[in-house]
Amino acid sequence: MSASDTAIVTGQSFAVPRNVFWPSVALILVFLGGWPLFAPNPFLFTIGTFIVLNAIGATSLHLIIRTGHFSLGHAAFMGVGAYCCVLSVTRLGLPPALGLVIGMAGSALLALLIGPVVLRLTGKYFVLVTFLLGEIIRMVFVEWTSVTGGSNGISGVPPLHPSLASPIATYYVCLVASVACVALCARILSSEIGRTIDSIREAEKVAECSGVPVIRLKVSIFVLACALVGLQGGLLAFFLHYIDPTSFSMVESLNLVVMNVVGGMYSLGGPLIGTVFIVALPELLRGYVELQRVFFGIILIGVMAALPGGMVEIFGRARRLVATEMNRTVR
Amino acid sequence: MMRSRILRAVLLAIPLVCCALAPAIAQEELKIGGIGPLSGGGTAWGLAVQRGVEMAVDEVNKAGGLKVGEKTFQPKLIMYDDQYTAAGGRTAAERLINLDGVKFIIGPIGSPSALAVVPITNQAKVIVLSNGYAREILKNDSGSPYNFRAMNSNIEFGPAMVKWLREHHRELKKVAIIVPNDATGQAILPTLGGTYKENGFEVWSETYERGTKEFMPLLTRMLAQNVDLLDLNSNAPGEAGLLLKQARQVGYKKTIWQVGGPSVDEIVSIAGPLANGFLSYDVFDFNDPSAKAFVEAYRAKWSGVINAQTPGWYNATKILFKAMQEAGSLDTDKVRDSLMKIEGYDAGIYGPVTWGGKSDYGVAHQLLNKFWITEVKDGAPHALSVLTPEKK
Amino acid sequence: MFSTTVLGQVFLNGISLSAIYILIALGFTLLFGIMKVVNFAHGAFAMLGGYALYYLYGVLGLPYLPAILLSALGVATAGLVLEALVFRWFYQKMFQSMIGLLGLNIAIVFTCVVLFDVYERSIPPAVDGVLVFGDLIIPTDRLLVVAIAAVVLLAFWAFMSLTSYGLAMRAAAQDVEIAETQGIRTALIYKLAFFVAIFMAALAGGIYAQIYALSPFMGDRPLMVAFIVVILGGMGSIPGAALGGIIFGFGESFLSTFYGSAVSSFVSFGAVIALLILRPWGLLGIPE
Repeated sequence: MSASDTAIVTGQSFAVPRNVFWPSVALILVFLGGWPLFAPNPFLFTIGTFIVLNAIGATSLHLIIRTGHFSLGHAAFMGVGAYCCVLSVTRLGLPPALGLVIGMAGSALLALLIGPVVLRLTGKYFVLVTFLLGEIIRMVFVEWTSVTGGSNGISGVPPLHPSLASPIATYYVCLVASVACVALCARILSSEIGRTIDSIREAEKVAECSGVPVIRLKVSIFVLACALVGLQGGLLAFFLHYIDPTSFSMVESLNLVVMNVVGGMYSLGGPLIGTVFIVALPELLRGYVELQRVFFGIILIGVMAALPGGMVEIFGRARRLVATEMNRTVR
Repeated sequence: MMRSRILRAVLLAIPLVCCALAPAIAQEELKIGGIGPLSGGGTAWGLAVQRGVEMAVDEVNKAGGLKVGEKTFQPKLIMYDDQYTAAGGRTAAERLINLDGVKFIIGPIGSPSALAVVPITNQAKVIVLSNGYAREILKNDSGSPYNFRAMNSNIEFGPAMVKWLREHHRELKKVAIIVPNDATGQAILPTLGGTYKENGFEVWSETYERGTKEFMPLLTRMLAQNVDLLDLNSNAPGEAGLLLKQARQVGYKKTIWQVGGPSVDEIVSIAGPLANGFLSYDVFDFNDPSAKAFVEAYRAKWSGVINAQTPGWYNATKILFKAMQEAGSLDTDKVRDSLMKIEGYDAGIYGPVTWGGKSDYGVAHQLLNKFWITEVKDGAPHALSVLTPEKK
Repeated sequence: MFSTTVLGQVFLNGISLSAIYILIALGFTLLFGIMKVVNFAHGAFAMLGGYALYYLYGVLGLPYLPAILLSALGVATAGLVLEALVFRWFYQKMFQSMIGLLGLNIAIVFTCVVLFDVYERSIPPAVDGVLVFGDLIIPTDRLLVVAIAAVVLLAFWAFMSLTSYGLAMRAAAQDVEIAETQGIRTALIYKLAFFVAIFMAALAGGIYAQIYALSPFMGDRPLMVAFIVVILGGMGSIPGAALGGIIFGFGESFLSTFYGSAVSSFVSFGAVIALLILRPWGLLGIPE
């Protein structure tokens, strides 16, 4: 295997030194929290809200990918969270904040039921099962009209709280939720559990022999990831004031996967870069819709062919390039 | 902090200075927003919005601009793709309103998109003339203060058509309604089914997954029900054509018609000679002498099949322009009030404007367009009858 | 409802459905078996075959059999360009191939939207009319489809079993590295497998467009069906694809006719999920 292949598998070359890491994080947080004050445009708030919400989905999917499983049905769990949340608010009259918790619980419960069965499957079979599961869940949303409103969805969803209805407040609420989720994922990945997850992905049998409770860990991560994406679903419902099955289709699941694969599958920075790329790019290419899609397709091919580890790999390669150059001059 | 305030002041001052330095530019741009699917399966309808509005815009610009009050404006269309989804419609509307500063939007066409757009536009006091069959687009908690529906939904044309059928074809007793399980199909089934039952028909219905092209099993199932009428209702043109062709191929010999669509050209193209005898709802009679000017203007710019919804969007835009002129201003409250008062104006293709829908939706914001029933004879559509929806 | 007429019709519908599904699934499983690529652009090639047939048969008016063969050959040959530009970066890299070829699919489909516009067209049928046997009705164009599919399948089987190239391809499908050490030129085999797979996809696409309708988005549903049929039969197994196509075709015909399409979809997906959980390598695949 080449050096870059090893790097992809272990993800180690992307470890950033501590004295650069925390200031960068602080800078990013300040930027995310501060830009609305300099560019107060509701349209930008909408884009910003979509980016931070999708970041929740992309990073939660990232957790699952780090265990070595690719889920093509992640958006379906988002839908389960969204529908549970909305139904509890509109049909049962519960307060919206409680609705969010119920949404997360619904999605987590489904993951708990399905996880132990499907997580035993290896790589490509897990992909196929989640693909089919995603389709079945979407069909349930479409066919069970009495409960879900079918293809016409459920409209007239109230905001999270009357005082939080404005676009800028919505952005900040979603930003807080998103930062909390990403921080949680980062914490898990950098801890002992994270190293265990990586060991499961790289050599499952060896990990099992070392006493790692493989299935239990995989299911726990899966349940957590689905709970987080269920939160995204609930927040999305309060943001759009409307949910329908098309928001949780295969296209959305694929988008979340693309965010991870294009951004970088084995480091947390990957899905974050991927999210910004996938959400912002169509807005920059608004003029030429068909050409924009052709362009997007070509970019996907190019990134996958040249940077199999995703865009994050650019940083790794740049650093190694700089390091090689510096070594040369020192000698 | 001081520096950024000065910077902001300077940035704001530049356009003001430009305006002051250019008194010679008498014509201001009037931006009209358009939203519709421009990618994916619904592209034909999105293009109908784009082209219909562009035709009205070009016509006005060629005549020297739109005179509203004391100023003359150059209308310009800014069209965005909504991908037929709620998130897409919401993003497109936000961009039009907040980035492009648009106050008037034509579209969207799909219910998911329209349902996501309307709460935003009503809050921002932006006038919207949309399509979309979902009742909630017009009948909602806010009372639809600024949005209107510019095309008939099945609630408007369904009852009139079924009544016509009852009167002209007394022998038909049992109807099969086959719908896709998407937003439009699911909205239609209860209302259309109800209309048929009110008129004394027995109803059998069946749904299929949108995107299916193979209907033989479904149609075999239908044959076993002994229906004497197949209604293609809200099926997309491609699917409607295939349903008709495969129904004939599986041995169904009785009447086929479509309370919806319209998709007559596509059906003739897909089913060929099997389409003879097919009856359909049509929103426009392209053969009518009054349509000639429209067809020629379209052909001057584009080739290919004219999507039947294009004249309807042209009509909607012309009505909007007329309302602006009557109001003498671009203030959306005044234009909205003037829109509702416009009864009787004829844009040249649909006859005089009539608003209706008060008893169905609570607001009279539904444009009642006349429509046709056509029959396919020898491979071409012929208008049988002109009907108007009831004003309720 | 369960009369013999209906059952007979169900059987006939099942055969014609299976024929089309098998043609599309075969190429898909070949690409996965030998090169380990998940060809998300397979539907796009079928669509290109449809447009090629439209121009050769519908517009230029060539006789049917030469038209359909030429259209499939043309698309497969043009496809070799894409093989050199795109596919070869993804051989033996399954996950990268999924996303990269998804990108290729989007690029091809929307290029066609720009070139051909979105309106659905139809290709004039090769044969018209219906054959009537008592109460059973068979549209003759469906019969033609079954005939063409049978011939192609037979030819494919003969190629794979009786020629040395076919043997080389089967060897490569089992283990690429060992095949290389045995002297098989994998670069050539890859190109050959690609050509055969795309030829079949384009042929299937032409037929599909003729029976149903032609548009740039036409390939999405055949791709989904190919995916499921191949899962059912076992990814990489050629007899598996044939068996999967038959089961899926008949299953859909039976369930849709007697229970409606929603039930049919739920049952088929549920059955495939159950299969994946209990026997992931499919009916005729190789257990790993």
